[in-house]
Amino acid sequence: MSFKKATALFLSLAMVMALAACGKDNNATPKTATATPTAGVQSGDPTPTEPVQTNGVTDLSVVKEADGTLYAGAVKSALKTAGGGEVGYDVYTGNGDKDYTDPKFYTYNDFITDTSTLRWGPLDWETHDDSLILDFLSRGYYNFVLNSTKDGWSVSCELAEALPVDVTKDYVGKYGIAAGDTAKAWKIALRKDLKWDDGTPINADTFVYSAKELLDPIMLNRRADSLYAGDFAIYNAKNYLYSGKISKEVNSADGEAAAIAWDEKVKGDDGVYTSKDGAKMYIGTKVAYAWLSGSSIADYAAAGYIPADLMNYLNGKADADGYVPLTDEVIAKMFEFTGSDDWGNEAESDLAFYVSYDQETPVTSWDEVGFFKTGDYEIVMITINPTADPNYYVPYNLSSSYLVKPDLWEACKTYRDSNKAVVDKNSADIASITTTYGTSLDTTASYGPYKMTFFQADKQITFERNDQWYGYSDGNHKGQYQADKISFQVIAQHATQLLAFLKGEVDTVGLQSDDMKTYGTSPYIRYTPQSYTTKITFNTDKASLEKRGTQILANENFRHAYSLAIDRAKFASSYTSAGTAGFGLLNQMYIYDPFSGASYRDTEGAMGALVGLYGLKFGGDEKYGDLEEAYDAITGFNIDQAREYMKKAYDECVADKSYDGQATVEIEMLVYQSDDIYVQMFNFLNDALKDACKGTGFEGKVSLKMTVDADYYNTMYSGNTDMIFSTWGGAASAPYTILYECYCDDATGQKNQMEYGYDTSKINVKIKVDDVDYVASLQKWALWADNSDPTCKITSVDGSKTLADFVDYDAMTKANIYGLLEKTYLSSFATIPMYYRNSASLVSQKGDYAVTQFIDLIEFGGIQFYTFKYSDEEWANVVSTLKY
Amino acid sequence: MFKYVMKRILLMIVTFFIIATICFVLIKLLPLPAVKAQGRDVNLVEQKRELMGYNKPILTQYWIYWKNVFHFGGGDSKGWSPDFGVGEQMYISLPVFDVIKEKLPYTIVVNLYSILIAIPIGLLLGIYAALRKNKWQDHVVSTAVMLVVSVPSYVYAFLVQYFLCFKTGWFPLTVASRETTTFFSMAMFKSMFPAILSLCFATIANLCRFTRAELSEVLTGDYLLLARTKGLTKNQAITRHALRNAMVPILPMILGEFIGILGGSLIIEGIFGIPGIGKLYITSIGLRDYNFFMALTFFYTLINLSANLVVDLSYGFIDPRIKMGAK
Repeated sequence: MSFKKATALFLSLAMVMALAACGKDNNATPKTATATPTAGVQSGDPTPTEPVQTNGVTDLSVVKEADGTLYAGAVKSALKTAGGGEVGYDVYTGNGDKDYTDPKFYTYNDFITDTSTLRWGPLDWETHDDSLILDFLSRGYYNFVLNSTKDGWSVSCELAEALPVDVTKDYVGKYGIAAGDTAKAWKIALRKDLKWDDGTPINADTFVYSAKELLDPIMLNRRADSLYAGDFAIYNAKNYLYSGKISKEVNSADGEAAAIAWDEKVKGDDGVYTSKDGAKMYIGTKVAYAWLSGSSIADYAAAGYIPADLMNYLNGKADADGYVPLTDEVIAKMFEFTGSDDWGNEAESDLAFYVSYDQETPVTSWDEVGFFKTGDYEIVMITINPTADPNYYVPYNLSSSYLVKPDLWEACKTYRDSNKAVVDKNSADIASITTTYGTSLDTTASYGPYKMTFFQADKQITFERNDQWYGYSDGNHKGQYQADKISFQVIAQHATQLLAFLKGEVDTVGLQSDDMKTYGTSPYIRYTPQSYTTKITFNTDKASLEKRGTQILANENFRHAYSLAIDRAKFASSYTSAGTAGFGLLNQMYIYDPFSGASYRDTEGAMGALVGLYGLKFGGDEKYGDLEEAYDAITGFNIDQAREYMKKAYDECVADKSYDGQATVEIEMLVYQSDDIYVQMFNFLNDALKDACKGTGFEGKVSLKMTVDADYYNTMYSGNTDMIFSTWGGAASAPYTILYECYCDDATGQKNQMEYGYDTSKINVKIKVDDVDYVASLQKWALWADNSDPTCKITSVDGSKTLADFVDYDAMTKANIYGLLEKTYLSSFATIPMYYRNSASLVSQKGDYAVTQFIDLIEFGGIQFYTFKYSDEEWANVVSTLKY
Repeated sequence: MFKYVMKRILLMIVTFFIIATICFVLIKLLPLPAVKAQGRDVNLVEQKRELMGYNKPILTQYWIYWKNVFHFGGGDSKGWSPDFGVGEQMYISLPVFDVIKEKLPYTIVVNLYSILIAIPIGLLLGIYAALRKNKWQDHVVSTAVMLVVSVPSYVYAFLVQYFLCFKTGWFPLTVASRETTTFFSMAMFKSMFPAILSLCFATIANLCRFTRAELSEVLTGDYLLLARTKGLTKNQAITRHALRNAMVPILPMILGEFIGILGGSLIIEGIFGIPGIGKLYITSIGLRDYNFFMALTFFYTLINLSANLVVDLSYGFIDPRIKMGAK
């Protein structure tokens, strides 16, 4: 090798090493310095008026008041009655002798597309396919099953022998339970005939062992939060998981009150300030502070608002996560800038709002966790908060279980040190523990109706009847589980899946939009509603858009015009197999009253939200007589109105210099892939935008451009694009968490919210409850409804009244308030709903599902109630004669 | 020759090291997949990533990686027992090496069958077309070859599947699983045949095209005219002189095909349900599974570097006039 070649090689290597040495921050999320809320709605009367009747006409639109507060509407409230509703316990007992006693052999064949991410370990499963497998291998404490009249669900006991018993009063003074508390401690009697598939008995020790392993602080199992997130959070479960760990907390979450007052800080021996309790204080350079409108010091520096020399100084002192220990020198350096004219002459004490501090999770032993046994077949679970409507929500929250077979679980563990080298389980340096439990046939144990009998990665999974399962002998599952064998092939390509179905090798197949031409009228087609709404989500942050030259998107009228230019019904029917035009964040699937099963979307509040949002009026001389008629008429599509809004947008953009009247603007739309269907969808949306611009100053100048980005969600989270398709959905029986957790939690991409720049903490919303005005930020309203923060209270404008906790209102009140919040959120057009997702599939003539109409929690009855018309032998003879 | 081979091997090691380094750094510079999920504790994932060393400086991670690759001891062995880590985003917690080892046989067997079928057919068709150059037989073969070369492989894979597997039912739609048959059984071969056939087309076409071109050129050489004038029959001249010379560039190509079979085929494996390694690499990039990505980078880099070396060396063996390393 010549000297020149060698030099070239070394130079290229050196370049790469230098690049590596620069490092990177996996947590870094590029942000812009300022978030520009673009709250806005129709410009209405500057004085707050109730959007009610004028000459008999009702207009439910959101009204912007003089101070920018959005008036959403008025509701009358009612608190729920004590005790809650009742649930049924009657179970559909099947179809004659078609159950596990049938001597013929029946196989149900299905497919999955991939097993590369598959893992069915009860403590760390993740995906829908994982849960599909777990459903065969496990049971919950309780199960929601088809009721005897086949029109709804009932609760059945599974791992539990009886319904949960409220024993809260037995634990007063312990586990955070105070006198008078109810519905916090639940005693569950377990079945005595529970066994693993090899016959090993399962008792209360297995349950406690599994729960403890689930919360193992080193393993950090993905499902650990099942015991502490949500409404059924077990007391001290989270503290046990994070016991003794230090996390950084923001000193002021709202930019108003500080956890550690500036005057209370104490200088330590090392010169670093701490709280009175010894919690070290830091200036967080990468932390989003409320004081900085949800942005970070680094963001402001990047935007040029904070001088480079100060940022360089802070970076020089910061740790890898950007935390600078608070010392006199740092205070002086910071205050030199924050106290200057350039920044607004802040007081030194305002530095408290730039501070984060160490928070140590209390050291918590397993004995302090509210999950323990009180007998060989009896456990008690104690929750942090009382469970509302316990007849429904306790079984609902216990409809899954997390059991691992102790000997197998231990054998599947691998211990690694901080250098990722495998070490002995007794090693002093164990940094991580991984487990292969639930990744192959040998590492799988079942306590459900089926056991795994074959697994070949990326090829096939087979389940056969688990004879050790109690259900085959307890007499309570007659008419159920007729399938002797369930087999999943891995078939990646849709065309192959369809051929396999037509050959009778699989018993169901999903349909794509192209398939509908052939099978749209098949009597064997089945539509399954889903809780997902697909939307177009915009970046509305003017600062980041300006860098991209697409700042016209920050104009609300522009987005409103675009929304009105899209024919959602045509879009859904053309490009989805079974989707329907979508208008709200929540679709028909969401249940507002679990006891009646009634849909949120059918409530007056939810219907009124969309009628108001899309500007339909009813009553008086209007086209629509009443709310329901107006709701049924919603299309979201009005090209004339769209052009009017576009004209307004043009004038506003020219006026505020967002647009010079000449430039060509290409709005970037990120898509996951560039296959034919995406191209068609893009063309549709591009045509809609151009159509809306016709006759306006934007005509011929504004269009979309499509960019493929498989990581498009992350790109939007960082504000580096203009628009994407986004989809959120959730548990259909828990509609009130989605607004906060998915749409209002963080406008800078730190949490789930994708509407980059739409800062809901800056948008004040007024709702009149029982004739009293309550104002809070949209984010706060959503958090209140989310019910995850017990300290979140909504007070009246005059401060004299406070709303009860959201969970304490009756179902109708909750739906009505939520409707107002949904409407207000959508009125910004930071996201515009496109279609409600549904799936269409062909079902085999081999057998029948228990019901043909989708039922919440039951769907169509599943494999539990599936009955075969043909045994395997019979099927082989008839399959070639069947048509679909 | 020995010096030349050693030099090439040394250069290969350096190149391997550079490619591995570049790939390690570049994949680590990509952002990790988002862990956002409604109602879920994102900290769990972030803390786990911290424990797994994802947030350490890249050079530290790089050092740890090599240290584990050059791990000695472990179990009863005192020798080299490389630890390529376990799947962290795909085939989670399963040893990377084991997963690749399990999938490789499918890829190798299917591709090997296809090459064994494709090579003689491709060569014969190429020779036939060259000998019938510019006659209708040549036109038919050339047109068929152009058709196959121009059409993406998944198109004729789907056609094969539709007609041979679905319409006629002669073959199963997908490759059989080990639940129903053993790896080297007739039933397994039968289930693999549509995939083998689909893989054959491109190889046959390329080989045919290449052979035809090479042989056509050789057939116009003066030395063949000389051979005929010296009294050799046409067949003798072709087999003894023309074919032998035409094989000089063709044989390395065939050798490359053999080594390339380890790579697998993303599309064909997907269509026929072959649990091979075809899609592992691309999936590992999408999911940011560093351990799989690096192990596969090692694998493919080694294959390609070795293939180049073997092909280069083969020239010298095929044609003694080519001197390796000669100035």
